[in-house]
Amino acid sequence: MTKGVLLFCFDTADVQYHSILERCVRLIKKNLQLEITVVTDFNTYSRMSPMGFINYKFIEPERGNTKMGKEWNNVDRHMAYELSPYDITLVMDIDYFPFTDNLRQFLDTDHDFLISKQAHDLSRGTIMDQGRWSMIDMVWATVFIFRKGRKAKRIFDTLKYVKRYYPYFMDLYRIYDRRFRNDYAFAIALEQANGFTSYDTLPAQLPTLPPDCRILKITDQGIVWRNNNQIGQTENQDVHVLNKETDYA
Amino acid sequence: MDISELKRQSDLSYDTAIAKRNALERAHSRQVFAYNGHLFRADPQTICLISTLKKTNDTFFVLDTNSNPVEITDPEDFLELLIARNQETLNAYHQMSKTFEKRGG
Repeated sequence: MTKGVLLFCFDTADVQYHSILERCVRLIKKNLQLEITVVTDFNTYSRMSPMGFINYKFIEPERGNTKMGKEWNNVDRHMAYELSPYDITLVMDIDYFPFTDNLRQFLDTDHDFLISKQAHDLSRGTIMDQGRWSMIDMVWATVFIFRKGRKAKRIFDTLKYVKRYYPYFMDLYRIYDRRFRNDYAFAIALEQANGFTSYDTLPAQLPTLPPDCRILKITDQGIVWRNNNQIGQTENQDVHVLNKETDYA
Repeated sequence: MDISELKRQSDLSYDTAIAKRNALERAHSRQVFAYNGHLFRADPQTICLISTLKKTNDTFFVLDTNSNPVEITDPEDFLELLIARNQETLNAYHQMSKTFEKRGG
């Protein structure tokens, strides 16, 4: 049974995602000690520093999605099932930094698909509130695990269908955010594929630093951030960083 | 107490409270572990349940974190893992609390 991590990384005109990837890969190798496959394009690949043994899969990212008026190449996640060379795959955003080996144990379960429903706001010490208007619980597609088989395939097939008719599903579920968001696409696909019942989730809140937190320092142990006039830090705790204006070197 | 000292104390208490909540969340995350292909939380409730059931049964069924039934065939081994993980996380949280006390939080 092969296990590994699948990462998606595409530089844009505004964000050098490859430098975030390099930090993330270093932490995966140190703490998770799993094989890594990076899905990227040639442009981004040509800017990457050597990172040791990594598998690469080259695709041309689907463009057109934006975030705060800037290019945002995030719509290829539905291809994770086909792109992953592993039996059990951990898919992570590259801005999720695994400072612990906590995620590794989730690959040792019999679950076909696991995703997180809650995030912990490290800057406020509370659960992140998404100000929900929609008729569906959002999931955090930042981190999810799937085991190849009929059930996971059905979920990804449904995800492709949801992506294709996303404007319709946004209206159906009263989602006001008009961008394509994997978080909602996965939530819809999971609900539809599971017959509108609940589904298994990761029993952990994703530790997250919101976009208004500026990263002051990042090491192989943890992160120091500033939020208004408050300085915070954490060590030996995974962190999902939403502010991309950081020097990750 | 002048207002600047009050603000300093208030900011310190706020920072400490957030750091404590984050440390507690870190402990809770660390308490989750995989056993027999299922996920469990090494919390007092699970420890007490296993400890109680172990007294009268060699094997028994419990629910994992997603409410799936799991047969526990080696309660001794499972309980040992639960306690070890629980104490590992609380020990780390205790160390963190001590540093907060030193800072006056």
